[in-house]
Amino acid sequence: METYDWMVKYTPQSEWIERRGVLLWLAFFFIELGAGIFFMASFFDNIQAMLAGWLVCAILGGGFHFVFLGKPARFWRIIVSSGWQTSWISRGLIFVSLFLILGLIHLVLTTWADSGVALLVVIDIFAFLTIIYGGFAMNYVNGIPLWNTALLPVLYIVSGLLGGAEIVLGITVASGEISSGIAIEEWIRILMIGYIILIPIYLLSTRYTSVTGKASIRYMLLGRWSQVFWGVVVLVGIIVPVAAIISSYAMGLETTPVAFLYTAIFSGLIGDLTIRYLILRCGLYAPLIPISGTQSTPVRS
Amino acid sequence: MTNWGMIIDLQKCIGCYSCMISCKQEHFLPPGVFWNRVIIGEDGKYPAVNKQIYPVLCNHCVEAACVKACPTRATTRRDDGIVIIDYDKCVGCRYCLIACPFQQRTFYTDGEKEYFPGQGLTEYEEIGRRLYPLETGTVMKCNFCSERIDAGIEKGLKPGTDREATPACVIACPTEARVFGDLDDPNSEVSRKLREEKGVQLHPEYGTEPSVYYVG
Repeated sequence: METYDWMVKYTPQSEWIERRGVLLWLAFFFIELGAGIFFMASFFDNIQAMLAGWLVCAILGGGFHFVFLGKPARFWRIIVSSGWQTSWISRGLIFVSLFLILGLIHLVLTTWADSGVALLVVIDIFAFLTIIYGGFAMNYVNGIPLWNTALLPVLYIVSGLLGGAEIVLGITVASGEISSGIAIEEWIRILMIGYIILIPIYLLSTRYTSVTGKASIRYMLLGRWSQVFWGVVVLVGIIVPVAAIISSYAMGLETTPVAFLYTAIFSGLIGDLTIRYLILRCGLYAPLIPISGTQSTPVRS
Repeated sequence: MTNWGMIIDLQKCIGCYSCMISCKQEHFLPPGVFWNRVIIGEDGKYPAVNKQIYPVLCNHCVEAACVKACPTRATTRRDDGIVIIDYDKCVGCRYCLIACPFQQRTFYTDGEKEYFPGQGLTEYEEIGRRLYPLETGTVMKCNFCSERIDAGIEKGLKPGTDREATPACVIACPTEARVFGDLDDPNSEVSRKLREEKGVQLHPEYGTEPSVYYVG
């Protein structure tokens, strides 16, 4: 980067998306998806799906998070320090740890007997907190208006639950439990409507919060990342799943082609992963030194 | 209480990069790592062009976003207002780096990087690595030359007044554009200058209350 450009133009954050930062994007996605799967599966008492959620969260989410750290061997310091009082990363690790520990106890106990509703309620609370912590961690960053909005955690809750419900539906259909599948699909319809409403509200509200927010939205929707947004997030991530939802609503879940259903589930997950990528990628800082005439184009960091 | 702070006079700064270089020299900073930077830009259109020079460094904010973001308490604010990083506690999550709205932190990754690639470390670099054993995989930033301040105070010197106890960038500035001192002491030069010349902070809207002010 030219010294002249450095911090006099909008600067995209890079540490959480470039080089090893890509691992954090994957970590947030899999942790929230895994917790979402477990949360949704618990309502349908689907042990297989709960186990899948637990594994996605622990192995993929936790693994990517662990590898992302500059000093992975010191991760225990996050739990033992008093950082949880102010830091969302610290709170998040505590939520994830408690969710995974209690979730494992539940899964082991259910092998022999019913572990009880009370334990499951507690686990679901921690699963829910696991889903939201990433959104709150990003929401704290007031230098990046695209993240510093209360709608971001809400969007992550809805997308985490939607992704979880989609996977649970896939597992349910694969095991031939159509009646449970119909109930899950009703949840997916509601969550998908919420998701479709939230995305434009989130983008529009950020667009009008500040000049930097407007630049972030332009960068995502009209700039370098526009094709990815419209092609992957909107077409693949929203239109294909919506087509599947309409199709199964009209024809019934049992007559909807299974291949179409799985394609829609996969598309939905790809769309969710992509919008999370774009939110990280298009997070712009305001110029440190505002100099007129030099702010139109984000600089590569 | 003491609250160390700095005023940078933009009218006096000539953009010579002395602060940037002296900082690198003082802390033996590896290639590509800067704790002090000089941003130079142009404002307006010909013929009404205005050259702007802004030296920037960690603002040692009173309400530092990085301190609250740190999950291990590796980043803390000392009683004298200096925001420091304990490299032994840092896990390298880079949350502080993201949270800093002034983008003044660096994630140190390449510990093997040499100033003269392929020619091995210079004697200067070797000494630096012994004196300042920086840890790869951790975040670093300006520490207001806290080691100079602490050593100076132990000797009975006054930071901001005595050169030995004053940050390297301040004493290196050939135009005395930088003034360092105790913001809580109404009689210090930094407080007087702040009062008389109405110093401003960068991006006060973030609510972090930077301890670095600009005048001119």
